[in-house]
Amino acid sequence: MLKSLNLQDMRQKAYQALDQRARAITAGLGLNELRALMRGEPPTEKPNPRYKVHTTSFLFHIRPRYYEAGSTILTHTFRLGFFTSFFFFVELFTGLILMIYYTPSPEKAYESILNLLNNVPFGQMLRDIHRLGAEAMVIFTTLHMLRTFLTGSYKKERSFTWLTGVVLLGITMFLSFSGYLLPWDQLAYWAVTVGTSMAEAAPLFGNEINLLLRGAPDIAANGLLRFYLLHVVLLPLAAILVISIHYYKVSREHGISLPAYMEEGNVPPEVKKAARQRIDFIPDLLTTEVFLVSLGILLLVLGVTVFNYHAPLESVANPQVTPLDTKAPWYFWWLQGMLKLGDKILMGVILPTIVVLVLVGLPYIDRNPHRSLYKRPIAVALGVLSVLILVMLSYMGLPQYGIEMEPAQRIIQDMSPQEGAGPLQRLPFEELQLGSYQVNVNEPINMCPNLDFGCPAFEAFFRLYSDRVNQAIRKGDLPAETQAVVVIEDWQKDLRKITLRIVWPGEDGKSKSYERIVYLHANRGME
Amino acid sequence: MNRINLQILLGTIMVLATSVVVLFYGLNEEKRMAEAEEAQRGRAIEQGAALFEAQCSRCHGTQGTGIPGLCPPLNDRYFFDQRMKDVGWSGTLEDYIVATVSSGRLASTRPQLYPGQGTPAMPAFSDHFGGPLREDQIRTIAAFITNWSETAIAIEVPPTPSGPVVGTDITKELPEGDPAAGEALATTLGCVACHIAAPTGPVWLAKDGEPGVGSHAATRITQPDYTGKATTPEQYLFESIVNPNIFVVSGFASGVMPQSYANSLTDQDMANLIAYLLTLK
Repeated sequence: MLKSLNLQDMRQKAYQALDQRARAITAGLGLNELRALMRGEPPTEKPNPRYKVHTTSFLFHIRPRYYEAGSTILTHTFRLGFFTSFFFFVELFTGLILMIYYTPSPEKAYESILNLLNNVPFGQMLRDIHRLGAEAMVIFTTLHMLRTFLTGSYKKERSFTWLTGVVLLGITMFLSFSGYLLPWDQLAYWAVTVGTSMAEAAPLFGNEINLLLRGAPDIAANGLLRFYLLHVVLLPLAAILVISIHYYKVSREHGISLPAYMEEGNVPPEVKKAARQRIDFIPDLLTTEVFLVSLGILLLVLGVTVFNYHAPLESVANPQVTPLDTKAPWYFWWLQGMLKLGDKILMGVILPTIVVLVLVGLPYIDRNPHRSLYKRPIAVALGVLSVLILVMLSYMGLPQYGIEMEPAQRIIQDMSPQEGAGPLQRLPFEELQLGSYQVNVNEPINMCPNLDFGCPAFEAFFRLYSDRVNQAIRKGDLPAETQAVVVIEDWQKDLRKITLRIVWPGEDGKSKSYERIVYLHANRGME
Repeated sequence: MNRINLQILLGTIMVLATSVVVLFYGLNEEKRMAEAEEAQRGRAIEQGAALFEAQCSRCHGTQGTGIPGLCPPLNDRYFFDQRMKDVGWSGTLEDYIVATVSSGRLASTRPQLYPGQGTPAMPAFSDHFGGPLREDQIRTIAAFITNWSETAIAIEVPPTPSGPVVGTDITKELPEGDPAAGEALATTLGCVACHIAAPTGPVWLAKDGEPGVGSHAATRITQPDYTGKATTPEQYLFESIVNPNIFVVSGFASGVMPQSYANSLTDQDMANLIAYLLTLK
């Protein structure tokens, strides 16, 4: 009896039991092996148990066993593709939770967002992360594509991967765009109205596409439901499918490309050999990925807390009122810019189609076998030029560009936009002292003698307003007799009525005016 | 320290940092949600103010003081303290406002005091019933109106006329009028809400070269498009008060002004009002 209580024996048995459990859970890695992994030591057994995992576990099976050392250089990939898929998973995760609180109907949609912000703990954070992740995903997809273009990684056997990438860029943009409508606020409603009206320009079936998307001539209950289903079912499924194909090509077929100079450059053979050296997925790449994921999550959380990024929410959608300065989401500004340049069909349909076809067919059009930047100057020059054109077109897509507005209206719209917050909305409530203030009559100095600390924010606001008016007078946009006033009235408990009014003599001698009345409540909160 | 160790260390630190940030964010959640709710209510009041101005102020006054003989005051102690008991409403005041604004009133509940604009006394505003407003917009109007609850003062209802009423015969001989009494009456009747404060009706005061109502009374009857029966400025004013739709100054809507003054003013009231208006040259 006593003999059998051998301590050594018991420890060994316990160890074996634990070791077996560990092997079962990790699909083949024993305790010793795990210990070696964490310490970055070489494998403890032969054959290498770290490879076995790739055949026994599904999740590891779809990951590569190794990358070539040269392709893991940070400045070669910047981990752009990795982060794009990271954001995709962030969107899936946050999106699934957001779905719990959302109702896709015009009566309830906006209310459910307000409820999410007011009554759901971490609701605002989830929404902000979902929005930030979406913006980041569009940016990272584009940058990933640009990187692939510049390193010439779309050539030869990677042509098809490039093609799936172009499809993914489209899916990403439409995922983001379809999500735009869901809060059912003015921003969403009009951005999507502008966006879908571009589809209308398509010849022959443009009207049908538009009807199919909107479910009616104007966006209403049907349109919202369609966009919702696109956003939560069809597009994510399509994305998962194409991402799988895209990733399969990379992980199973041809790996990440090596930097061009290592592949085709005039470098010593040992550099080429070192570049081809294998870096195992377990533990090196896996550790790096977990590290990058924690970095990504930290950055997202910091973005919506410390850096104060908040998903915008304007007033509830109103099909009867088109706010001034309506614009499409930023990644479609280039298209709006093009539409301003000319014919709706040429600029809105034919040219964008050509752009897409060129992107899709790039590996087949560009037959230059070299990958190095220096050996394909024309392709690189064209690429840089397209980026510049894209930026310029996006600028031209802004509502401030090329759309004539009365100077007085422009000034008042900039001081206090119809939607969202302008300088006026950002003023602290207590600085809104009752009175009538006229530009060039009242000086923006010591405007609130009744307040202990004066009203520096209101004075800055009034100075800005005066400067804008005087600038317009100097430029001749407004006549010298122009009168511009700010009138602040006490309207209700904690509610002020602010009138911005510009009056000027018109050319026919009659006086013209433009005014905007804004009500501000003490508790409205800042944006 | 090799690369893997470094990544594990940094990764652990970052996960901890994320947890700390989320934890501190979470500690503030109760407060943030309460503030978000306050802010949302504030914004509802702002929107309600704009909608009230556009849709309701013509009858209920820009500051909700109502127009005697037309529409009841809302910025009124009675409305907040007693109204729901009087009509036997069991829900909240906000619901009462939403219900009334949504479906309107076919007939006035107080036809002697506030007959409204005839039939219906108040139109339905909900888009479900052919009105212009959505449900959420009506809720913001209710938020705006209930925001008066703390500051509302008791608005005096003008006394019903003592003695015989003036009637609609504009050739009637009137006693000597007192302009000061007329001015006070114009204020209590609420005339000033539309004719002085807001240009809902023709403005009384002289402005930008346009003469006041006292001068207009003499010139309007000579206009070719004049459709009334008055022959003197006094008769013109008399007629405009008791029978406002017989001639409507161009640019203004017919049927806006209450038509009940013939039955609510005495001879002396009418004389005072006319005397006051004639002083506004």
